[in-house]
This record gives sequence, C-alpha cells and structure tokens, in this order.
Amino acid sequence: MVASESAGAVASSMLPAARVRRIIKEDKDIYACGSESLFLISRATECFVESLVRESYEFSRLDKRKTVQYKDVAKAAQSIEQYDFLADIIPPSVAIRKPAVDS
Amino acid sequence: MSDYEGGPANDDDLSLPRATVYKLIGEMLPEDIACAKDTRDLLLDCCNEFIHLIASESNDVCEKEAKKTIAAEHVLTALQDLGFGKYVTEVQEAYDEHRKQQTKDRGRKSTKLSQLGMSEEELQRSQELLFAQARLRFQSQTTQAPPSDGTAASTGDTQ
Repeated sequence: MVASESAGAVASSMLPAARVRRIIKEDKDIYACGSESLFLISRATECFVESLVRESYEFSRLDKRKTVQYKDVAKAAQSIEQYDFLADIIPPSVAIRKPAVDS
Repeated sequence: MSDYEGGPANDDDLSLPRATVYKLIGEMLPEDIACAKDTRDLLLDCCNEFIHLIASESNDVCEKEAKKTIAAEHVLTALQDLGFGKYVTEVQEAYDEHRKQQTKDRGRKSTKLSQLGMSEEELQRSQELLFAQARLRFQSQTTQAPPSDGTAASTGDTQ
C-alpha cells in the first residue's frame, strides 16, 4: 500500500486536521475529539477511500473500461456489507437495479 | 437532477478539500486509469460520510466508557465494530509513528531550530557573528555620511 511505504508518510495524514475536525463537530452529540483521535480518523478515511477506489476499479476492469464511473462505485457500495452506510448518498436511480428477492 | 447531497461545486467547509481527495484517488489508481468527475465527487461525499460514521461510532464507544472526549482507543474499537477491522493494523501503525514523531518534536525546543543540526552553543556563536557583521556594516555606512550626534534615525540618506 502506498501509505505504508515510508514511515514519514504513515505518521501524517493528507487530510487537513482542521477540516476533519469541522466535519466531526457537525455531529452535535460529540462533545470533544482528541487530536490523536482526529489523526486516526483521518488515516482511517484514507484507508477507506483506498479500498473503495480499488473495489470500484475492479468493476470498471470487469467491464473492460479505462475510466472508473459512477456505477462502479455504486456497485462496490452495494456489494460490500460494511458500505451499507453509503446507501443514502448513492441515489437509487443510479445504483444497479437488484432483482427483488423475497426470501 | 436528484436531490443529491452533493452540494455546491465549490469547496464546502464541511467537506474534505476536493483537490486532496482527487489526489488520493489518483494515487490509488494505475497510471492509465481515469476517474470520471462525477465519480470523484461521489467518492468525496463517501469520505465525508465515512468520517461522520466513524466519529459517531467512536462517540458511542466513548460514552459507553463514561468519557467525554473521544480517545484513540475509541476510534480503534469503532473501526472494529463497524467491520473495518482490516484498517486497524495500518491505522495503528500510523498512530505509533505519529506518537513517536510527537515525542521527538516535544523533546526538542523547536523543530525549526533543531533541523539546522547545530547545538545551542553553535547557534549562539553564529548569532553573535551575525550581530558583529551587522554592526560592522552599520558602522561603515555611518562613516560615509557626516557623523551625526549618534542618533541612528538620521541615516536615512545613506544608500
């Protein structure tokens, strides 16, 4: 993975701390977030985008395309359980229509 | 257009910087692979959403421990609980490196000075040298102009 290639890169995050903090503080239930936690959340987000990008890319590869498209991300989000939280921000009209399965 | 949470085209204060996320995306894809613009924006929104998710879960963990401030351990637990356990190793590694870096920085008086690689005595000596050089320059300037009664302000015409 790119991030773990050098200790220097690992010890810092590309995401600006102030911005991440502002996003976190949007949640009124959160009283306070330590700066170390902030750092961990930033790094976790980098891991997340890396995973999501790679998984999306797999779908574009399967489709023999050289451009990762919206539908690839939609498919990736739908195929992985941990990404269920993304369902709200990926409009269903763009997402892949799954056959209605009644179990 | 659907009622999408995308927001305005400019960088929202409550969103990660567009350029940074675009750069991250680029780093994760092979050189010959592109990413459509609307896709990049979607990924940006996914990141923002992820931050909310982790923060919220971390906060829950934090509250369960009757604490008020989200600590590092809460974040790590939250990641596990949300099924992102595979990130824990890398994030933990980053945390350890980050802490080492913090202790190093705190151990020195100032990171800028310490980067010069000079000891305090050397720094003092070079400072005195710079002062002496400045004094000489100043004195040579004032000998060219008619000697004033020692007021530094009257050297305005020296050029």
